[in-house]
Amino acid sequence: MSLQRLRFLALLSVLLPLTLQAQNIPRTDAGIPDLQGIWQAQTRAAYNLEAHVARHDMPAGESVVVGGTIPYQDWALAKRQENFANRAELDPLNKCYLPGASRIMAMPWPFQIFQTEEHVAIAFEWTQVFRLIYTAGQEPFYPGFEHWMGDSRGHWEGDTLVVEIRDLNDRTWLDAAGNFHSIAAVITERYTLLDDNTISYEATIDDPEVFTQPWTISFPLVRQTDMTRLLEFQCQAEVEEANGVFERVDNLWFPAPIPSENIPFDADAGSPLPNPEQTAPLSRRDDGTPDISGYFMSDARGANYGLESRDPVVMFPPAQGVVVDPLDGVLPYQGWARTEMMERREAWRGYDDPTAHCFVAGIPRSHYVPSPFYILQPPGYVVILHERMSYRVIPLDGRAHLPDNIRLWMGDAIGHWEGDTLVVESSNYNGKAWLNELGDVISHAQTVVETYTPVSDSQIVYRATVSDPIAYTRPWTIEMPLNEQQEELLEVACLEDNNDLDHLRDVRDEYRANMNQEN
Amino acid sequence: MKRNIFIALVTLLTSIPALAHHSFSAEFDIDKPINLTGKVTRMQWSNPHGWIYIDVENDDGSVTNWALETSAANNLIRRGWRRDDLPAGTTIVVEGFHARNNTPTANIRGIVLEDGRRLFSGNADELNN
Repeated sequence: MSLQRLRFLALLSVLLPLTLQAQNIPRTDAGIPDLQGIWQAQTRAAYNLEAHVARHDMPAGESVVVGGTIPYQDWALAKRQENFANRAELDPLNKCYLPGASRIMAMPWPFQIFQTEEHVAIAFEWTQVFRLIYTAGQEPFYPGFEHWMGDSRGHWEGDTLVVEIRDLNDRTWLDAAGNFHSIAAVITERYTLLDDNTISYEATIDDPEVFTQPWTISFPLVRQTDMTRLLEFQCQAEVEEANGVFERVDNLWFPAPIPSENIPFDADAGSPLPNPEQTAPLSRRDDGTPDISGYFMSDARGANYGLESRDPVVMFPPAQGVVVDPLDGVLPYQGWARTEMMERREAWRGYDDPTAHCFVAGIPRSHYVPSPFYILQPPGYVVILHERMSYRVIPLDGRAHLPDNIRLWMGDAIGHWEGDTLVVESSNYNGKAWLNELGDVISHAQTVVETYTPVSDSQIVYRATVSDPIAYTRPWTIEMPLNEQQEELLEVACLEDNNDLDHLRDVRDEYRANMNQEN
Repeated sequence: MKRNIFIALVTLLTSIPALAHHSFSAEFDIDKPINLTGKVTRMQWSNPHGWIYIDVENDDGSVTNWALETSAANNLIRRGWRRDDLPAGTTIVVEGFHARNNTPTANIRGIVLEDGRRLFSGNADELNN
């Protein structure tokens, strides 16, 4: 056999399996690789991208850097060593700060990928972080503003999704070992589906301020075939609960019982509301359901400052009232719960509002917090990405709710279409959220039925009917329009620059000290 | 530049509670209105609130650096504000409310530039979400 023929056969033996693999991978209706599903990195890269021995805070691991070593400039290598030595104090992740776009891909937490014609979205279980990758050639609305998670734009090169991340700030690390980059960094990711359950992930870091040349990391992402949905890990909330900074509320948090003194809950109270009237023809998707995707902001009429109507006070907007059932616009509180709500209006209780700690807003508050959100309609789901860094994944497959003992800040949502209305039923709440800044009360027993009814291509009428037999005597419903705008989401890195919480704590502590003196 | 500052500050101040993440009245005291004159030392471009820091000369000649809470950076970006619109060294006169804990911190309600232009009158209706 000639050398040439041997070379050809050798080449064929390499290429043939790759070709077969590429043909066998899942594909979307559009024929591109279908990356959708729940994945997790199979790597020790989150601890240290380079080869490393075990330490008290990390297992040993081999290098995921192509070539083995990161090509630092001398000064930068010294800084990395200093970072490593002081990592317990300096690692931004130890403060629950946003991890950065490439570090989060390697962390030992699952994430779910969604695809639409214009986006790839990645929702991470870790602290409800998400990435929205624009894949249809959209130009950034606000280039040049730095973000913790950067700005991601993607395109397909053959069967590989290529994502370029720019506008990264320099406050994140690349791993727990102190590897870092500057604001000049551009990270180019390559996602290649190898088979049903494996994605090859590569990221090339190009940063002439810190490195002598671009360098690449590579590790597999593995489908989590045992997971039916993402759960939650709210990093800062868990830390503050563990150290007592965010205090438990026994009568509202799971598994608080219904108080014996409660007026019995009348689940059937209330009358049906008329369907919102369509004002313009609706765009529809291939399956006939309305297209409700896009960037939305609610016209919430001050709901974050009170669900009932309330006169304006200095520096606070008036609450115009969004309660449509009961018809008088008054929330059907249990007496003790209204007393609690009134106390929360006192300055010393401002500290207790979870959003003041930068925790997620819960449901329905995420719709009027106020902050914009983006609705996506990937196959089988509706996904809502909230700019204040939380999301909802709403499956449309008719599945059952989670077991009762799994409790979440954002609840467990399941959706279906009734005509042109998206109906979302949710339960499994943990009872830790407030309904707004003035302290309207909600408990873990809440179940919510939300309806998203598009009345035109630019407006959705949103309703949420809340049944909470702990804090209320009957179900109640709020309503507000959600207005679509030609905008892009930005990033709210709340915890990272939250100067307010110390002030709020001072106010609470002073009140408590005075109360102790009086007693 | 002055026009830029004018536009930027109007948008800065007419959008204070949007993206609010904590109760205003819990942190700041409406019974403690405050007026300050000082030179901008830096602007912290952040969410959930931005912060303007100004040096204010006290009666005894000492200088205190005050932290002035603004709307969220995302609001400023969307309303046309850019990073260099309020350069360090700019003298501003601010109206606001003092923090309840009496630290040199205030939530800004109005600003007057050196030439006397008033940039914000404080209209609660404008602040509605």
